[in-house]
Amino acid sequence: MGEGRPDVLQGTLDLMVLKTLESMGPLHGYGIARRIEQISEQALRLNQGTIYPALLRLCQRGWIRAEWGTSENGRRARFYSLTRAGKGQIEEETENWERVAATMARFLVKSE
Amino acid sequence: MSWLRMLMSRWAAMFRGGALDREMDEELRAHLAMAAEDYRRRGMNEEEAQQAATRDFGGVTQVRETVRLGRGVPFFENLRRDVGYALRQMRTSPGFAAVTVLTLALGIGAAAAMFTVVDHVLLQPVPYRDAGQLVQIREMNASGQEAWPLPWLDIAQWRQQTRSFQEIGFASGMNGRSFLEGHGTAVEVGGEEVSANFFPMLGVEPMLGRGFLQETPSVGPNRNSGTIVLSYAVWKQALGGDRNILGKTVRINDQPWTVVGVMPPGFRYPANTYGVAQVWTPVELGKSDEARGNDANNYFVLGRLRPGVSVQAAQAEMAVLQKGIGQEWPDADLRSVHSRVELEGYAETLVDKDVRKALLALLAAAGVLWLIASLNVTNLLLARGTARQREMAMRRALGASRWRIVRQMMVEGLVLSAVSGALGIGLAAASVKMLGHEISQSLPLPVPARPDAWILLALVGLTAASALVSTAWPAVVSARGPLEPALKQGGLQTGQSREHHRARGALVAAEIAMSLTLLMGCGLLLRTIYSLEHVPLGFRTDHIVVASLEIPAYRYTNRNLTADLYEPMLERVQHLHGVESAGLMTEVPLGHTFRMQIMMRMKGRSVVAMMKAATPGIEQVFDFPMAAGRFFRAEDTPDAPAAVVVNEAFARAYSPDKHNPAAILGTKLMGTERGAKPAAYSQVVGVLQDVHQTGIASPSTPEIEVSLAQTTPDSTFYNVLDEIAMDLAVRTREPASVVIPEIRDVLRQANPELATARITTMDEVVADSYGSQRLAAHLLEIFGGAALLLCVAGLYGLLAYVVNQRTRELGVRIALGAPRASVLWLVMRQAGGMLLAGVALGSGLALASGRLARGFLYGVKPHDGWTLAAAAALLLLSGTVAAYLPAQRAASIDPMKAIREE
Repeated sequence: MGEGRPDVLQGTLDLMVLKTLESMGPLHGYGIARRIEQISEQALRLNQGTIYPALLRLCQRGWIRAEWGTSENGRRARFYSLTRAGKGQIEEETENWERVAATMARFLVKSE
Repeated sequence: MSWLRMLMSRWAAMFRGGALDREMDEELRAHLAMAAEDYRRRGMNEEEAQQAATRDFGGVTQVRETVRLGRGVPFFENLRRDVGYALRQMRTSPGFAAVTVLTLALGIGAAAAMFTVVDHVLLQPVPYRDAGQLVQIREMNASGQEAWPLPWLDIAQWRQQTRSFQEIGFASGMNGRSFLEGHGTAVEVGGEEVSANFFPMLGVEPMLGRGFLQETPSVGPNRNSGTIVLSYAVWKQALGGDRNILGKTVRINDQPWTVVGVMPPGFRYPANTYGVAQVWTPVELGKSDEARGNDANNYFVLGRLRPGVSVQAAQAEMAVLQKGIGQEWPDADLRSVHSRVELEGYAETLVDKDVRKALLALLAAAGVLWLIASLNVTNLLLARGTARQREMAMRRALGASRWRIVRQMMVEGLVLSAVSGALGIGLAAASVKMLGHEISQSLPLPVPARPDAWILLALVGLTAASALVSTAWPAVVSARGPLEPALKQGGLQTGQSREHHRARGALVAAEIAMSLTLLMGCGLLLRTIYSLEHVPLGFRTDHIVVASLEIPAYRYTNRNLTADLYEPMLERVQHLHGVESAGLMTEVPLGHTFRMQIMMRMKGRSVVAMMKAATPGIEQVFDFPMAAGRFFRAEDTPDAPAAVVVNEAFARAYSPDKHNPAAILGTKLMGTERGAKPAAYSQVVGVLQDVHQTGIASPSTPEIEVSLAQTTPDSTFYNVLDEIAMDLAVRTREPASVVIPEIRDVLRQANPELATARITTMDEVVADSYGSQRLAAHLLEIFGGAALLLCVAGLYGLLAYVVNQRTRELGVRIALGAPRASVLWLVMRQAGGMLLAGVALGSGLALASGRLARGFLYGVKPHDGWTLAAAAALLLLSGTVAAYLPAQRAASIDPMKAIREE
């Protein structure tokens, strides 16, 4: 864990977090991690802790913001929400991904 | 711009470390709690739920670390940690820290002190706009001697014809002393007459008022007549900073002047005047400016180059112009005297070339001392590095990178250097103050008080460089060595030891070499001083008290100074108790108060000579030997034939028979009365033997002396010789401390303004005349001594360390039967190797750099073998003594204990 991980993984996690927040609205760290697990239908078995460095990065870049609030069970937790810059970023990142996926697809077809 | 945002949030996070940590902990705890709750809802018990939650999370500590790393600026956080560690290290071994800090402080302080002096003399900016464009223009004869006078007519033609200069201004000093009447007392001021365009040419505007009106200079009264511009100091101190001063009248030497301007604080012209408040009046071109001749007024000419024109280009143009201008002089002699021009940047003219060279040489010497100090510290750190090898090895085993180790050692070095630098500033300031008197004798400056940007920059640079030089090597060595042997208990890293060893030995040898150079320089200067002190001067200097008087001549207008001031004063002094003889002289030999040069025609030849007035008593005071004829006597009154005395140099140059000084006796030299006929010209009545008048190392120059008694207000030289300065020389049996107050009383009675005259002994005057060599010798004594000390300490330290490391080995040797003497010899031989290598290298260095000092030496050559041998012997002796102690310790090792110990 930590620095030195391939950027692809970092980038994908960031995008997943952003998309999660887009669809779910403000959510705390645990909630985001659970949601990602659910969506990927358990295909991604990340250690939940890896989400925090990602959240820090996104905060530093100004794409999400953090606020202390109360969870469903009345527990004090930190809630993250998308900023306007973050929303714009989702579009850009999605385009990137689709481009990469398309290129990869061409590769895979060719090798057949 | 998200990276900018990133940077900003990182910066902010650095300062909130603690709070952010707590928040993160809370957040992570909340996460785990929520996860555990979910599991419990699914049916696990408390314990299982928590375990499951923790497992899902992954490593909490690692997450925390990662977030922390991503949060701040790692560079600065590491730096902070390293500095803290370095400070702790210093506290745990205070002795080592103290030695290192003191050594470095010595080096930094010396270099900083020297640099302060150099900065104030050489680097101080001249307080005018674009001073680099200001150039002094002088006329020269064919052999490069300055021509005099430089008349207005030449200046006018330059102004008209030149294309290299955008402005040419001219100035001349006010004759005599000037006293301005301020609130209360009379204050002495320095006065300069300047052309109307002078201040605009310098690029400085008055703070108050408009200054002089701009107009083309011409002969006769101009629009600025009677006006005056004051300096800030005069305005503030003597006139109380009166805001309404413009248009008011001030009196200088009883003459009224109307104030038209006050210059801003810090402005001065000439640029190298300090300590005297200044005033400026306009140049009035008069009858004596209408022709070219020896009677014309002399001016100092400064020009501002057109932008883009170089000094060389301007020089070339002016040289061509001067050919034509020189032809305008009335006779062939004068034409050749004024045939050339020389241009020199104004800033360069302010410092004597020799002084500049000497200062730079001294700066180099200080730099050498600094280098020695830094190398010494390197040595110390290398030694320490070996002791800390285990610590470093463990750090590396735990994951620190080599770069990290190096970086940490460099930070330690920086911290040490920073402390040393702070101490060094203190040392520098103290030493500059202590040497203040000597410095102000040799350099035309007051002692600098506040540091300026250059000095601070130099200090910071020195400190950083010290750190770098001292720690680079030890750091690299620490980081490089193999890991395993260092970690083993009791391991003696033999391979590395030898490398270390040779390195340290080389450092000590280098230190010795550099010390030898410094010591050699010191020795050469000491010999120079010795030679200077023993030059036979040609006159006595013992038991003579000299008072240098600045004459307030304006109080004696329409009176005869000789009769009203000088003779009564002399009379009273001669009656003081213990006075054997007393006399007055324009300037005593080797005094630096006032000098007058005269150029005249004698039998159709041009004569250049120094001129002085003297009373008969001077002969007894100084015991001047006469080569021929007689000195002045009481019979030389204004009614008697005018008498002059010349010296041998004059006789050699201008006498009909060069080898017989007596041949010039009886020659009618010149008219001293205004409008005197040749029949009444002064006659040469005596020839003085040559003495060193201007400097101990300078040869005698031609000199003419006139009798003070015969210099009446009708004499042409009265203004110059009588009204400006006079030295009173008194031969007395009493000690100086008794006589000086009595003389001061006499002076005060004669005229209150003389009470502040400088009174000293002739011995001091002589000593001050080679003050710059003395100062340099003192400085080199200090540098050389410090260098010697550092070397000796370095040598001792290294040998002590070596003996320590090899205790076991040496113990074994002794146990196996080696005689103790051989062990002693072993250690001494090591020392000897370093000493000899150092001395050999140093000799080469000293001889090579000796050439730099050539101009400064007297009576000894820069490659003098005796001095070198003496310096080398001193080093070798000290080194041997330093080596003896560890050698002795080695020889007295108890083999049993040594083998048993680790």
